[in-house]
Amino acid sequence: MGSSIRKAVELILSADPELLNILSTTARVCLSSSILALIIGVPLGILFGAERFPGRRVLLVLNRTLIGMPPVVCGLLFYMLFSGVGPFRHLHLLFTVKLMIIAQVVLITPIIIGVMETFVADTAPALRETARGLGFGRMKEYRLLINECLYSIFSSYLLSFARAIAEVGAVAMVGGAIAWKTNVMTTAIMMYTNRGSFTLGIALGLILLSLSLLVNIILSVMQGRLSR
Amino acid sequence: MKTNAFSKTYNGRTVLTLPALELPTGQITAVIGPNGSGKSTFAKILAGIERTDDKKPILSGISVGYLPQKSFPFRMSTEKNILQNGKNLSRATKLMKMLGIDHLAKQSAKKLSGGESARMALCRILMRPYDLLILDEPTTAMDMESTLVAEKLIRQTSREQGCALVLITHSISQARRIADRVIVLHQGQFIEQGQSVQVLSKPKQEKTKHFLEFYGL
Repeated sequence: MGSSIRKAVELILSADPELLNILSTTARVCLSSSILALIIGVPLGILFGAERFPGRRVLLVLNRTLIGMPPVVCGLLFYMLFSGVGPFRHLHLLFTVKLMIIAQVVLITPIIIGVMETFVADTAPALRETARGLGFGRMKEYRLLINECLYSIFSSYLLSFARAIAEVGAVAMVGGAIAWKTNVMTTAIMMYTNRGSFTLGIALGLILLSLSLLVNIILSVMQGRLSR
Repeated sequence: MKTNAFSKTYNGRTVLTLPALELPTGQITAVIGPNGSGKSTFAKILAGIERTDDKKPILSGISVGYLPQKSFPFRMSTEKNILQNGKNLSRATKLMKMLGIDHLAKQSAKKLSGGESARMALCRILMRPYDLLILDEPTTAMDMESTLVAEKLIRQTSREQGCALVLITHSISQARRIADRVIVLHQGQFIEQGQSVQVLSKPKQEKTKHFLEFYGL
């Protein structure tokens, strides 16, 4: 373990080009997918929580099912859609970072929708009654509702980022873990472990954990300020 | 102003049936009755928050302000909460001073106690004039001192703004202190209405007498 930590520090300090490439690919995939999922998931979560419309319950059940979808199933689905025999083969997205991001968006958006829907469904009725009682219009009502949601938005983002950075099944299948192209931290750990380079694998694992810890500390501080 | 007659049914059970009612402007009409008599449902229908069975509004063409029983504090300071309902800072400050929450102006409204939150909510609804103002048990969470100040403020608002004010309350003594008129409800039915002195001192209906006796009046 001690040698692994030393190796991890050495890798970082030496600015190892392959490690830097893996780190930048990981950052690209995780940040892009989590931000895109946030952009899609927050409005949908608020809509599902605040409004009552035909088909809402069905959509919620579907969303809860998607929350529990195994990443490898998601990866398999995208592999089939974009592989040489799939309907989207002409887009040539298989084994690209773009498709890795899309697959992760599909995996983590339901988490954001779920977190937001639960919070909004609990908050919206009381807020709406008060806002309507004061004679506020729909726009102002929604502005106030979004203001109430800021803490939940951060919580859902934390969850989605954590899932994105730890995810391996989908990105391995659609990305192919190609060195210098689609290799991210998790797929690299798998690759090094398969090769028998446990030290390198553990070193990468420690870097991954440290990165996750750092991002979570930053977001938690921001979340704490919002809750005041 | 006069409301239309209406009924309200939940899951096949009629919970409220009321005839056309007079709500005089510049006066306070207290709606009293035991728990489950339909007071809050009446307030919500009056405010347009809930619909009647025939989906028609029971009042139209007037501005209505409604303070729910559990008013929601928005995630911002007490002062900003109040200013959501009007930009007049001096009025907000005056209201906060009157209700003794001016020292909490910059504090997050989420951190107010139940009584403080109720006072903030009352300040917020009184920031601008309405033709009809409905207050659903506005002083329940307040101590006696704050309740008396709030009642004075409610009375003052009704007189100054000339609005019709409907006060939902389970407190007979509060109705006696500030209401000009009283409407009595029991199990979703209208029992009687009239001048508060007359209804509370010499009720015509047996159900009203029982209700008042129950409260020891």
